[in-house]
Amino acid sequence: MFPGAQDPKQPQPYDLSNFTVLVVEDSTYMVTLMSSMLKAFSVGDIMECHNGKEAIEVLTVTQARSKSRFITHVDIVLMDWLMPGGSGEELLRWIRSHDKEEVRFMPVVVVSGFTTEKIVNSARDLGANETLVKPISAKGLASRICNVIEHPRPFVNVDTYFGPDRRRQESPINFEDRRKTKADEIKVVRKK
Amino acid sequence: MKVELIHLPNRLLQKLGLSKREDEKQAGQVDPEAIEEANRLVEKMKKECPAAIAGFLDELIQVWIDMRDMGDTPQRAKLSERAFTLAHEIKDLAALSEDELTTYFAESLRDYIGETELNLEAQRVIIQAHVDAMSVVNKQGIEDAESALAEELKQMVKIAINKYS
Repeated sequence: MFPGAQDPKQPQPYDLSNFTVLVVEDSTYMVTLMSSMLKAFSVGDIMECHNGKEAIEVLTVTQARSKSRFITHVDIVLMDWLMPGGSGEELLRWIRSHDKEEVRFMPVVVVSGFTTEKIVNSARDLGANETLVKPISAKGLASRICNVIEHPRPFVNVDTYFGPDRRRQESPINFEDRRKTKADEIKVVRKK
Repeated sequence: MKVELIHLPNRLLQKLGLSKREDEKQAGQVDPEAIEEANRLVEKMKKECPAAIAGFLDELIQVWIDMRDMGDTPQRAKLSERAFTLAHEIKDLAALSEDELTTYFAESLRDYIGETELNLEAQRVIIQAHVDAMSVVNKQGIEDAESALAEELKQMVKIAINKYS
């Protein structure tokens, strides 16, 4: 291969310059760190909020008027879990219960300094697409961004849950199937 | 219908002007050189962490001085929340800069404040032990979490917790 030529077997680098990412984090240091990483990844527009309440105000404007030329539409939300003045939990509940699809289906990556299984499970059960445990690394952040771009799981809507399918893959089971929902009780919706 | 399974068009991939065949694992990647650049930024920020931790620790000490002799008031509850946030912030920065010992004490303090009411004499001793331990680590720049001094500090905090729990 000639020097400088791209290997056709290698995935091409993404041009993220059209993307807008909202970073919701109360720590000034962590906001700076995440924003710097996103800038290095060539993300075009990075918005910053310091708590869930601020983020709700921003998303209400950006997503509700998504067709306006003057207002940037947020593509991915990176949110801390614990923040005074509006936690990540409150923000995620607000997003997943919103009546506008532009908000309800948004890809959300929860970035948390809490490593307990309880927090990770809470984030997953409230509809987070991905979780990332602090201290964050460039590789970890890049991998979560790639996941939301390349593997957008279908959303599940049941009485007790609304969010991305929590099963990441279909695995064959070699034991008794105890699932109560029958195939004809699942309605498949394909949005355009 | 019990369950609705909603398939969405992949708007992010569309925005990138890309598509992904079913048999492909990956459509693209974040530029490896950009990841390297981001890593360099992290390394640079790590160097700023000890000074930032010292600033948060000073604020934590002040918050603790202000609240420790207060009665059960709304103001105390606010200060307690601030102490929790500061401990959490110190833990994040310490973890980022791979300062194991400060991460250990800050996480222990954060969890302790989060789980208890802070108005008992016993708890005052425990909080003070954590604050003292972190101050020593920060001022003396102790890096080895297994050193004799590190073990002594951990022991001091453990004794405080065990004695009053």
